[in-house]
Amino acid sequence: MSYRHTLAVTRKEIYHILRDKMTLILVLFTPLFLLLLMAYALTVDLKYVPIAVLDYDRSQTSRAFVQQIIAGQDLELYAQVDTMDEVEDLLMRGEVKAVLIIDPAFERDLHALRGMPLQIIIDGTEPESGAFAVDHIGWRAEEYINQILTVQMQSLGMQIDTLQPIDLRVRAWYNPSLKPRNDLIPGLISMVLGFPALSVALTLAHEREHGTLEQLMASPVTRTELLLGKMIPYIIVGLINVVLIPVIAILWFNIPFNGSFPLFFVLSAIFLFAMISMGVLVGVFMPTQASALALSFLVIFFPGFFLTGIFFPIASMPEMIRMESLFLPGTHYAIITRGVFLTGIGLDILWPYSVMLFVLGISFTALAALFFRKKLA
Amino acid sequence: MFSRIWSISIKEFLHLRYDWWLPAFMLIGGAIELLLIGWATSRPITNLPLMVLDHDSSAASREIIIALENTNTFQLKSQVYDFQTIEAALDRGQISAAVIIPPDFGDEMASAAGQPTLSVILNGAESIPATTALRTFEGVVRNIGEQITIQRIGIKPEILARFNPSLRVWFNESLSEALYSTPAELGLMLEFIILLFAALTFSREKELGTLESLLVMPFTSLEIIIGKSIPVIIIGMVAFGSMLGMVHFAFDVPVRGSLGLLIILAFIYVFVELGKGLVISVISRTQHQAFLMVMLVGMIDFLFTGYAAPVEGMPQVLQYVANIIPAHHWLDILRGILLKGAGLEVLWINVLALLLLGLVIGTFSLRYVRRSLN
Repeated sequence: MSYRHTLAVTRKEIYHILRDKMTLILVLFTPLFLLLLMAYALTVDLKYVPIAVLDYDRSQTSRAFVQQIIAGQDLELYAQVDTMDEVEDLLMRGEVKAVLIIDPAFERDLHALRGMPLQIIIDGTEPESGAFAVDHIGWRAEEYINQILTVQMQSLGMQIDTLQPIDLRVRAWYNPSLKPRNDLIPGLISMVLGFPALSVALTLAHEREHGTLEQLMASPVTRTELLLGKMIPYIIVGLINVVLIPVIAILWFNIPFNGSFPLFFVLSAIFLFAMISMGVLVGVFMPTQASALALSFLVIFFPGFFLTGIFFPIASMPEMIRMESLFLPGTHYAIITRGVFLTGIGLDILWPYSVMLFVLGISFTALAALFFRKKLA
Repeated sequence: MFSRIWSISIKEFLHLRYDWWLPAFMLIGGAIELLLIGWATSRPITNLPLMVLDHDSSAASREIIIALENTNTFQLKSQVYDFQTIEAALDRGQISAAVIIPPDFGDEMASAAGQPTLSVILNGAESIPATTALRTFEGVVRNIGEQITIQRIGIKPEILARFNPSLRVWFNESLSEALYSTPAELGLMLEFIILLFAALTFSREKELGTLESLLVMPFTSLEIIIGKSIPVIIIGMVAFGSMLGMVHFAFDVPVRGSLGLLIILAFIYVFVELGKGLVISVISRTQHQAFLMVMLVGMIDFLFTGYAAPVEGMPQVLQYVANIIPAHHWLDILRGILLKGAGLEVLWINVLALLLLGLVIGTFSLRYVRRSLN
């Protein structure tokens, strides 16, 4: 293998990228741009949810209760309705995400300590907003009941300070306020760094589609040199993003970075190698750019987004998918990025994942070189 | 005129025959991928690894551990005997949460005015499982706490039990995750399929230099555009049909509203996305550019479908932007018809928005594409 040959292919590839400004901008900045966008759109803190109240009791107590429920900023009383038809209409239109229904005997039952039939209906098509409403209505209702019960118990001569004797003390390490943004952004890095892999798959298919692959093969460049030469510019593009993204994450989003940057850089380079090898493998198989893109979607992007544990914990997935996720570079890299950003761990803990990435990269490249030879023979 | 349009459509289909991977991926691959992702992610969060450090080893502490295990949210990894093990496991990300039971837990539980404490450490490096774990701990502690209170003050258990609000879920009675996540995944796949095919139309001819030869043939630019659009619409509708069948039969997603209405609206949506794809295909010089733009546009649209986060929670500016994203209205329509059984009387706003966007995008795209072809 000759470095000169490899570099010649690299130089040719760089000319291709530089020739057109639009391509250059897209190839260089798509990962960063997408990360910014996803950081804003995916890490949403629900601040308030619109609800409706159907108060069958219409007593002073029930009105006071409703007032207490909507006292905070978290639940907005969108409408006070009188019939179930209106409830149905509001939920159907999606104008409220939850409806609180108060029983006609609310006041009487409460004063007689017979309990409090309280019904909440949520819109099951938007469970996140619904769960938010249920949690918050539940907390307020509990506070209210606790006040009343405590007073009642004391008037009956029972001394009791609280209805909840167990003191639950929760601490969240590495991300004390459990802010989703803090761990999603490091996780998403593994997704957006997949873009150079897409580009490399496309350029290989491009050569084949234009029939220029034969020309390259007629030159003294060997197949491995050709593949490596094609990979290098995109690894460079990836590494530029590996530097840019933490800068944005730290300065713009205030994500803590507790680990070592040189370690992050080196491990990211290994990840890029594994990812881009995957792209090469796709590019070697596919006859046209369009099918290379389609296959990249199916094996790189969708699994990289859904199956690497960025959103949905891998522990809860079916056995078979858990096996599959081990073969996705993103699974290991997401552990590395979260480890380096939040936990602040070093190579002593991260080495198995790094080794795994390296093995994946070598295997993908070897497979690509093997099939490349066969396809051209 | 029709025979000329038809001949262009035939030509487009012939391209697919020479690269049969592409239609195979789009039609079969999309549906299989949807099955895989739906299977993997539309389920409740369970099996979160949990570690317990029980300094007490009493009946009360065992009761709380069993209650935690019975929620199915957790999978008890191991009983450990020192804090260092927990610390190491958290650092390695091997567990989602750890419970530490102090030595006086059982005694405090038993005494009349005792206040037992329970310490929990969550792995905040993965906030989604950590939040689920937190809710589970709160629920278990509330239940056990209530039992203790009942015992201590000697009231009838039914009284306290009745103070819990009862919950009913409409449109998705079993609160199945598949019912709200798979329509969004379907929307994402469909959009990518249409955009990809539409973006391919002119960018490929341009890149391969065959656009000139097409333009010197006796076709008007309108005929070329229509002829190239027909296969995209056909493929889009077939893909929609097969994916809808997939989510209906594999994930029991119901079709509660009118299927006919859904198909008509799907047709309009395919049309709108086609317009966007055609614009992408004429402004990009190469397929590489076109595809990167498809990725960007497709991902931007996906964020507004409410898959990972409800649009109402986004910053105000993004909520305004959501109104001009066709996929946002399409997902409202899709969920409305599939799950809520809604009709036009409810969905007319989304339909109107989709039609308006279609009109604007369609007109712009037609004029723009024609101009750049001439």
